[in-house]
Amino acid sequence: MDDSSAKKFQKDLNGGLVGLVLLAILDRSAEDLYGYEIAKRLASANEGVSIFKEGTIYPVLRALSAANLLTSRIVPSYSGPPRRYYRITDQGRGVLAAWIAIWAGTRSFVDRFIDTGHAK
Amino acid sequence: MNRSAPRSIDQYLTALREELAGEDTALVQDALYDAEEYLRAEVAAHPDKSESDVLELIASTYGAPDEVANAYRDTEAKVKAAMTTPRKVAKTGIGAFFGVFQDPRAYTSLFFMLLSLATGIIYFTVAVTGLALSAGLGVLIIGVPFFLLFMGLTRVLALAEGRLIEAMTGERMPRRPVHQSSVAGFWSRVGQMLKDRRTWTTLAYLILMLPLGIIYFVMAVVGLSISLAFIFAPLTDVASRYEWFGIPPDVRMNPAWLGSVWALPLMVLAGIVLLTLLLHLARGVGRLHALYAKALLVPSASAAIVANP
Repeated sequence: MDDSSAKKFQKDLNGGLVGLVLLAILDRSAEDLYGYEIAKRLASANEGVSIFKEGTIYPVLRALSAANLLTSRIVPSYSGPPRRYYRITDQGRGVLAAWIAIWAGTRSFVDRFIDTGHAK
Repeated sequence: MNRSAPRSIDQYLTALREELAGEDTALVQDALYDAEEYLRAEVAAHPDKSESDVLELIASTYGAPDEVANAYRDTEAKVKAAMTTPRKVAKTGIGAFFGVFQDPRAYTSLFFMLLSLATGIIYFTVAVTGLALSAGLGVLIIGVPFFLLFMGLTRVLALAEGRLIEAMTGERMPRRPVHQSSVAGFWSRVGQMLKDRRTWTTLAYLILMLPLGIIYFVMAVVGLSISLAFIFAPLTDVASRYEWFGIPPDVRMNPAWLGSVWALPLMVLAGIVLLTLLLHLARGVGRLHALYAKALLVPSASAAIVANP
């Protein structure tokens, strides 16, 4: 498999997963998080290299916020423009639970083929 | 894109702006804002490295400008598709004419017209007071800080007005404030603000909002009172006959034939037509005002954002 088709496959997979991961991170976090912090948590979970390009999480955060799955507030910052801190809403928790069930179902379905299909 | 990788925050933001050329100006402003938050935080998190060393690794973490631009384009398209509920639009003349009653934008635009007198008074007062005090205090030491404070306030007002207009008319407006590049010196920032065309168009918008607000308010109030008075004419007629609500029995219509029984249904009909026309007018005013606000409040996509590129 050449590099560009691998990239395309990863990008297609990420489409829905970014939203799931962002909701899960905000659900676990005790305090509100802003975009950069979330990006760094993603990267540190995978030895410093996030499988998502960190720039792609910002538009998804805004989309989730527009769908009332997240709320946000703005806090001034010394290092740059004011930061937008996000927190998950009750509606977001409901959606997250549904998405986790879908993900678990999908993963076990896919694993059934991956694990046995190429068994020697 | 085949270009040399950006080596500074300003270069990155310029490249991102070029990648997003032709997109909605409000989307461009949001994307630049997000990127600047990330890049400045990343540079601040690595005090041992220079800005260009940090930027060298940005393409593998945050993403190259073209990747980030694509992410915003894709998400915006999806959100737009999810947020707009398909509405069945009547094509025929009568259906299209009265279909305006089913359009929430017509009601919100009418509300915006009523509200614009209040916001217009506030904006006008802020702009004129701020300008006058800035000019008056200019010779004193507090003149410059006051001017900066005033500029900050106008930006907040511009953002709030943008949010209001998006809620009322559906026109995409910025969801983030404009952030001035903070690397340049204090005096060059002041100079930059004075040179920025948008500073003056924002002030013009705030000042012009008072006359416009008066016009919108009068149009909405006159239209509403005439059409509602026509629609409720039969009620007034009955009320005056039986002296309900203390209405005297000697209310006379002028011309007199308006008081006759057969004219009342016609008045109701005329009132409904007038109300429908008013909603069409409100929707049209809302659309035009949104375009006008966007032209004055949102920087055009081609304008440079950085102080010293």
